[in-house]
Amino acid sequence: MTDGADAPPVIILKGVTMSNIYKSRKYVILFLAPAFLFLIVYLYYPFFVNIYGSFRQIKNLGSYGTRWNDPLLENYIKLFTDPVVFTSLKNTFFMIIATIFGQVGIALVLSLLVDNIERGTQFFRTVYFFPIVISATALGLLFNLIFLYDKGMLNQFLELFGKADLTDWKGEKLAIFTMVLPVVWQYVGFYFVILETGLNNISQELYESAAIDGATRLQRVFYISIPLLRNVICTCMTLGVTGALKVFDLPWTMFPKGMPLKETFLTGTYMYYQTMEAKNVDYGSTLAILIVVLGVIISKVTRSVFRESEDI
Amino acid sequence: MKMKKLTAVLLTAMMTISMAGCGSASQGTSQESTADSAPKQEQPAETASATETAEQASGPVELTVTTTFAGEDSNAQNYKNAVADWEAATGNTVSDTSATSDETFKTRIITDFETGSEPDVLFFFNGADANDFVNAGKVVSIDEIRSEFPDYASNMNDDLIAASPADGVKYAVPVNGYWEAMFVNTEVLDAAGVAMPGADYTWDQFLEDCQKIKDAGYAPIAAALGNIPHYWWEFAIFNQQTPDNHLDIPTSADDATGSQWVAGLEDIKDLYERGYFPDNTLSATDDETFAMFTDGKAAFLLDGSWKVGGIVGSCQSDPDDPATLDADKLSHFDVTYFPGKGNRRTTDMIGGLSMGYYITTKAWEDPDKKAAAVSFVSHMTSDEVVPLFAQHTASALKNAPVVDESRFNALQVKAMSMMSGVTSLTGAVQDLFNGDCRVSTFDGMPDIVVGNVSAADAVQEGIDVYEDTLE
Repeated sequence: MTDGADAPPVIILKGVTMSNIYKSRKYVILFLAPAFLFLIVYLYYPFFVNIYGSFRQIKNLGSYGTRWNDPLLENYIKLFTDPVVFTSLKNTFFMIIATIFGQVGIALVLSLLVDNIERGTQFFRTVYFFPIVISATALGLLFNLIFLYDKGMLNQFLELFGKADLTDWKGEKLAIFTMVLPVVWQYVGFYFVILETGLNNISQELYESAAIDGATRLQRVFYISIPLLRNVICTCMTLGVTGALKVFDLPWTMFPKGMPLKETFLTGTYMYYQTMEAKNVDYGSTLAILIVVLGVIISKVTRSVFRESEDI
Repeated sequence: MKMKKLTAVLLTAMMTISMAGCGSASQGTSQESTADSAPKQEQPAETASATETAEQASGPVELTVTTTFAGEDSNAQNYKNAVADWEAATGNTVSDTSATSDETFKTRIITDFETGSEPDVLFFFNGADANDFVNAGKVVSIDEIRSEFPDYASNMNDDLIAASPADGVKYAVPVNGYWEAMFVNTEVLDAAGVAMPGADYTWDQFLEDCQKIKDAGYAPIAAALGNIPHYWWEFAIFNQQTPDNHLDIPTSADDATGSQWVAGLEDIKDLYERGYFPDNTLSATDDETFAMFTDGKAAFLLDGSWKVGGIVGSCQSDPDDPATLDADKLSHFDVTYFPGKGNRRTTDMIGGLSMGYYITTKAWEDPDKKAAAVSFVSHMTSDEVVPLFAQHTASALKNAPVVDESRFNALQVKAMSMMSGVTSLTGAVQDLFNGDCRVSTFDGMPDIVVGNVSAADAVQEGIDVYEDTLE
């Protein structure tokens, strides 16, 4: 490692010696440029085109539309009057709540339980993590069979227990529950692994000394594990909330076009529906902007609410 | 250390070059294609058979093909067989992305064209659904193909090939016709004490029968209004009209045609309120309600001629093996006319030749694929293949062979019998009222039947979109 510092530079690149490569900003920029260009071309440029498109009347993808909307803010006005937007926002917030309490909450309970067993930790890690590796579309089809009205697994179970009439799990009354449940189930394992890793990083000495002092297992959980897991839980919460804003594939597979009665739309699925199915591309663009604004605000709020502590 | 620096510089250079390379790769291919195309265009155009046409290609090529011959379509297996025959004869291969025909399929196709990822050959609707890609010049007309391949579709009766409503030019070579009618599970009818409907079946009798079937504990109508309301939409509107004016598009919800459309949708709402659709009609998929019908839990299924294959398949222990057909089970299925109302006779049906094979401009301009695409369509629309697909429906062949009923199963024979009593065959107006215009009444059907949106408002919304597309 000393040759670089002591020996004179031998490689010349357009007059710049290699010893200066880490000092010169040009090389930093050179490294950053490809990723930056990629983001410009595939993220920021489309985003600004999207804003432009929200003011145009566009029926087909790949075009800038035929004319300006009249009035210009037509789509933004519609955004506030469209009842389906309200439904999709309501469902998205419900999905966020379900993520916090369902995904992270259940994962926390499971990880604490697994942390308290001596053998089989790896087995549970694998079992709980497994749903993550299955494609969401495949899971959607699987849950479609489970929740099927006639001959579905769940209704057959209920029949075994004497229930005479069939339950429409995808009907108006239960659709949201039926949609959220598989999403929660799929990601529990993801947060479980993160939390379990966090628990493994807590020194066993703390538990041992607490045990000597007479602390019960439950007290050890509440006074050692959970406080020391705070930062990991905050990270999981942030990941969960931002992830909930982007959930798309599983709900769309199970409830295409917001079935039934447009009651199951999320902001993402409604944007897709307007753009790809209803061919209302400009309104889809407006919904996309709503999603971005919502994402920025919720991310900010999440980061301030679940701020990590530097004391841990 | 020097090695690390050198590696760093090289990696940076490679990343930059690879990004630039991504952009230039297709350009290079395009240039090569252009260079290749010059001598190919000089090839003689006189080609006779499909195989000969295929031989013009420089070597085996892979064609991307999308059709609706998939799922429960009667011709799904015929299509697979025909493709395999063509592949064996030419050495070319087909990358097939066929799917069941529904609104999502139509949207997918249109989006594929918009994003430049259209297939080489497409079997698609010849009505207004194709307007966007026809207007964009993304498919090649039959006349243009004939200018280079004079025998292309020469076995078809040109008068029966539909012209595009976009520009009046013919693009799609038809294969088999279609009809829409009401399939019946006679086992359910027997259990409910209802007679098999005939050629004089009226709407009032239908309502009466539905009530009897419902009282007997069955779902009278197998339909997923939240998924595939198309057939009910079409016939409910047709029932307010006659074959002469069924293809009229309203200019507003309260003009003569608009009022008929509204009345038709109100009839569907009435059926829903009476509880004649399955309990889960708003949340079910078409597959689910179809299964209810074949499992003997619902009596009537309004669908197209392509569903014959699905019903027959449900009577086979192996859906791909006709030898496993349970003839007794199949005998419980029949097909009849949709109940008549007003001036529409019961025997006036919806049908015609609404689909055909398109060759896309992308394939036409690719010298490697041009001949193969022509060869493929020529094979799929040949005198030998078309009768296999047409079965109990019409075709546009000049020399259509006599139908050999001895090769038909019981349901196909019943379908032939029904078709012999047809008084008129009218196209579907939804084929002229393209995609996004239908959204308010197709996707909006659940809202209409539960009363969230009035039929008049939904119809008017669709008309407004239609007016926009005309501008």
